[in-house]
Amino acid sequence: MSRILATYNIKGGVGKTSAAANLAYLAARGGATTLLWDLDPQGASTYLFRIKPKVKGGGRKLVRGKTDIASRIKGSDYERLDLLPADFSYRHMDLALDQSKKPTRRLARVLAPLADEYDYIVLDCPPSISLVSESVFEAADALLVPLIPATLSARTFDQLQKVANGNTRVLAFFSMVDGRKRLHREVMEQLALDTEHVLRTAIPASSDVERMGSRRSVLDEFAPRSRAAKAYRSLWQEVRDRLGPLAQPAR
Amino acid sequence: MKFATEFLVPEGLDLGLMGEALGPRFALANDAKGELQQAFFDTFDGRLHERGQSLVHQGGRLALVNGSGYSEIASADCPRLRERVLVADLPAGALRAKLAPVVDVRALTLLARVRGRRRVYGVTDDQGKIVARLVVEEPELVSAGGNGAAALRPRLRVVGVRGYDRERDRVARLIGRRLGLTAAELTVQDEAVSRSGGTPGGCPARADVELRRGERAGPAGARLLRRQLEVIESNLPGAIADVDSEFLHDLRVGVRRTRSLLRELSAVFPPRRLEHFREEFRWLQQVTGPCRDLDVYLLDFEDFRASLAEQRAHNLDPLRGLLKRRRTLERRRLLRALRSERTTALLADWRLFLDQLERQNGRGPSAASSPISELAAARIGKVYRRMVRRGGAIDDTTPPEALHDLRKQGKELRYLLEFFAALYPEPVVSLAVRSLKSLQDTLGRFQDRQVQALLINSLGDEVRALDDGAAALMAMGQLIERLEEHEAVARAEFADRFAAFAAGPQRAMMRETFG
Repeated sequence: MSRILATYNIKGGVGKTSAAANLAYLAARGGATTLLWDLDPQGASTYLFRIKPKVKGGGRKLVRGKTDIASRIKGSDYERLDLLPADFSYRHMDLALDQSKKPTRRLARVLAPLADEYDYIVLDCPPSISLVSESVFEAADALLVPLIPATLSARTFDQLQKVANGNTRVLAFFSMVDGRKRLHREVMEQLALDTEHVLRTAIPASSDVERMGSRRSVLDEFAPRSRAAKAYRSLWQEVRDRLGPLAQPAR
Repeated sequence: MKFATEFLVPEGLDLGLMGEALGPRFALANDAKGELQQAFFDTFDGRLHERGQSLVHQGGRLALVNGSGYSEIASADCPRLRERVLVADLPAGALRAKLAPVVDVRALTLLARVRGRRRVYGVTDDQGKIVARLVVEEPELVSAGGNGAAALRPRLRVVGVRGYDRERDRVARLIGRRLGLTAAELTVQDEAVSRSGGTPGGCPARADVELRRGERAGPAGARLLRRQLEVIESNLPGAIADVDSEFLHDLRVGVRRTRSLLRELSAVFPPRRLEHFREEFRWLQQVTGPCRDLDVYLLDFEDFRASLAEQRAHNLDPLRGLLKRRRTLERRRLLRALRSERTTALLADWRLFLDQLERQNGRGPSAASSPISELAAARIGKVYRRMVRRGGAIDDTTPPEALHDLRKQGKELRYLLEFFAALYPEPVVSLAVRSLKSLQDTLGRFQDRQVQALLINSLGDEVRALDDGAAALMAMGQLIERLEEHEAVARAEFADRFAAFAAGPQRAMMRETFG
């Protein structure tokens, strides 16, 4: 059985794609067969892995189960890490889901045939609350929620916990943290009291993370000693500790 | 278009030339050097090879790969692997799931080991994405003892990346054409196997002998028999060593097919000398029977357990223990027989006899010089008609022995169709085989369940004397009931299956083809 993780936040630009790409990479490097599905029509994680943002047949057929999902998967440059690319048509995925039966269960069903093949499936979600995100909540074992430590974060996080269904773990972590800002420190102190849902590791705001776009690569490949790379490694360790060992390795 | 993805290369292939051959569409990227250390596994009858697959142990992982592109189908961590392993011994997961239906109860055995140098180059597209890899290997065959090695030919393999098949094909064509490389006809596995004295593809127990329609019956029969002798001889060491249960099974299939040929083509061979061989092969079949029967019970045991209520299933364990002890006893007898002078002499004399037959080239009894296609057609026609006649006389009151006899006839017909399939129109043969198979399946279940129920019944006294004997006895009673239910189902199916086998159009078709 695959373990399905989704990086999710209602807001954009909070570090979802960086987290999805780096964590998926670390999972694969640790020996787990891993699939990263770039659900965001902007295709940022697809771009990072130098893959063309195109899925033959488009998103509509894919979510309605008319496309053999396995045949659309692309191998990344890294062992055990595959990617299901973004496609511009994903911007209408809501509509496609809306027209199908039990739309919120759709993504889980689409992913079911891959359960034996992958230890981890990481979903990089578009920022919004929609049928897509509801379907993601239904499919995912855990939501990984990057939070920028600003006043509104606490509210966003509360809202999210309300919408996520009961079986999905919600694990938040601080992202783009600037330790010099008093506000960041204060918000973190306050939210960190919720130890059940907020992870200890914080990802620093860093130019190395920004450079991922120009290098088209993950941090461990071009800046493995950077603070941000270390932070992602420790985040991955913490996520794994929180979720416990995999039931049975896929391969 | 069919093209190669694996090439033989001169030692020290020029990297610059490789890069040029790929341009301008592709470029060569990183270069990883590594050590090549691989061990190849397959079943004795080459089940993976037949599917174009290889099972490779490398760097602590066991991977099932597609032979042509070396793309991975599934793999698992196996830090250490013995030279012989059953699928059930592998870690649970995708690899085991992929192997189980193909390999079944056969052992996976080490075919060959290679070691050497390996370099891997990435081939990138205009985005800088790796879309294929070039793997250059300079392998050596490691001898069985681990000392000494023989160099194999250096080779370059184009390996695909998932989702980039077209690019891999393009790269392979460019490399092959522009560098003028020769395609490697054998994979490194096949080359290693054949250099170490083995046969690439293993030793399947098939009856595959190519016959021509006009060929004389004498030499054709001798070739068919020789093929069966090969099956018997190649399976003998594995049956003695008890590598897996299928060696003994295939050996027995070889013996049964030999006896069937001797019966069906009796007019072709000199009768006096055959008497002796008939007698000896009958003996060999008999002495190998009890052990095979016990193998079948033990292989079916999980099904036996599954047919009982869950809380009762473990009560059958004493029965399994008893069957295993019986098998140990029977194996001792089997080993004595297989290693005996009698077996050795039989196979050696039989080989000499077949040599003589082939040298006679159709002289001898007059039937030996007639075309094999005529003779075989007459036999197929006759056995089919006999089955139709005897099967037609079976009704609900007929004793079970008549169904068992019909099954024997069916086996005979099945072998005839297998031996001589190539001589007759394919649609006729496959239709006949299909309806026969379906009938035989029913007859087989009917007989097997009956024999199993009788055996389990006969073990009652022994089981009662064991610890937990009472519970086991009750579970056995339940099992016998289940077996009898299955037997009744098979008997009820018989009428329909036979009707299809003996239907008017099928009879007409058989008459027209085989007379």
